[in-house]
Amino acid sequence: MTSTLEQLDLDAVTRVVAEEPWRTIVWDDPVNLMTYVTYVFRSYFGYSREEAERLMLRVHNEGRAIVATGNREAMERHAEAMHGYGLQATVSRADP
Amino acid sequence: MIVAGRSGGEGVRLVLEAEEAMLLSELADQVDSVLLLGEADDPALGRLLPNAYPDDARSGREFARYTRDSLVDGKRQAAQRVRDATAVDDERDSVVQIELDQSEAWGWLTFLTDLRLILAERVGIIEEGDEESDETRDDYLRAAYEWAGFVQGSMLEVLDPTES
Repeated sequence: MTSTLEQLDLDAVTRVVAEEPWRTIVWDDPVNLMTYVTYVFRSYFGYSREEAERLMLRVHNEGRAIVATGNREAMERHAEAMHGYGLQATVSRADP
Repeated sequence: MIVAGRSGGEGVRLVLEAEEAMLLSELADQVDSVLLLGEADDPALGRLLPNAYPDDARSGREFARYTRDSLVDGKRQAAQRVRDATAVDDERDSVVQIELDQSEAWGWLTFLTDLRLILAERVGIIEEGDEESDETRDDYLRAAYEWAGFVQGSMLEVLDPTES
């Protein structure tokens, strides 16, 4: 019994480690106000003002920024939320 | 138009001239219509509901299938609330006063974003079709676009003041 449980736990750990990390990327859009994008990042992700502004400026200056990384389902949830706010967001697998 | 803080706490207070309220109500109704009736190939809809997987058609379709209805519902609700809040009941009223708490204000911010995305797309289309260009309509859309940006920016100054 005990050994079975340990086996299950080990499998779970292996799955988590083997899982590919994914990304939510927000793309630059000439329409959205910089103050709005910062406020969305602060309110939705809970980032500090400094972090939210850094990400917003990266979107603005470099055309895109990775705003979150993690499992695919979570990244799709974030992308859906960004679309709800009117931001252009995509999901992709992190480069190995 | 006056955009100010609320005396009672968080949120924002708006005072619109009756003409501004009617314009906003009309624009909100149009945003609702685009979401309700928009053709699948309407580029404005593409701005409101972007493809989450531009390089993977199958995942993109799956994502749209799972998210589209609730996104459209949320955006339509936001537009309808703005439309209803700005409806001028009595034509003798010269101003419309609106109080929004934090969550209601978010509805307005996202509506104003969707409105500007649609207007930007429409103006862009007119710029390309030079022969059919309707300058009066173009000016009207541009003015509405700038004004919506001004309203949103003013709301953000109240909701998220930057002076530190």
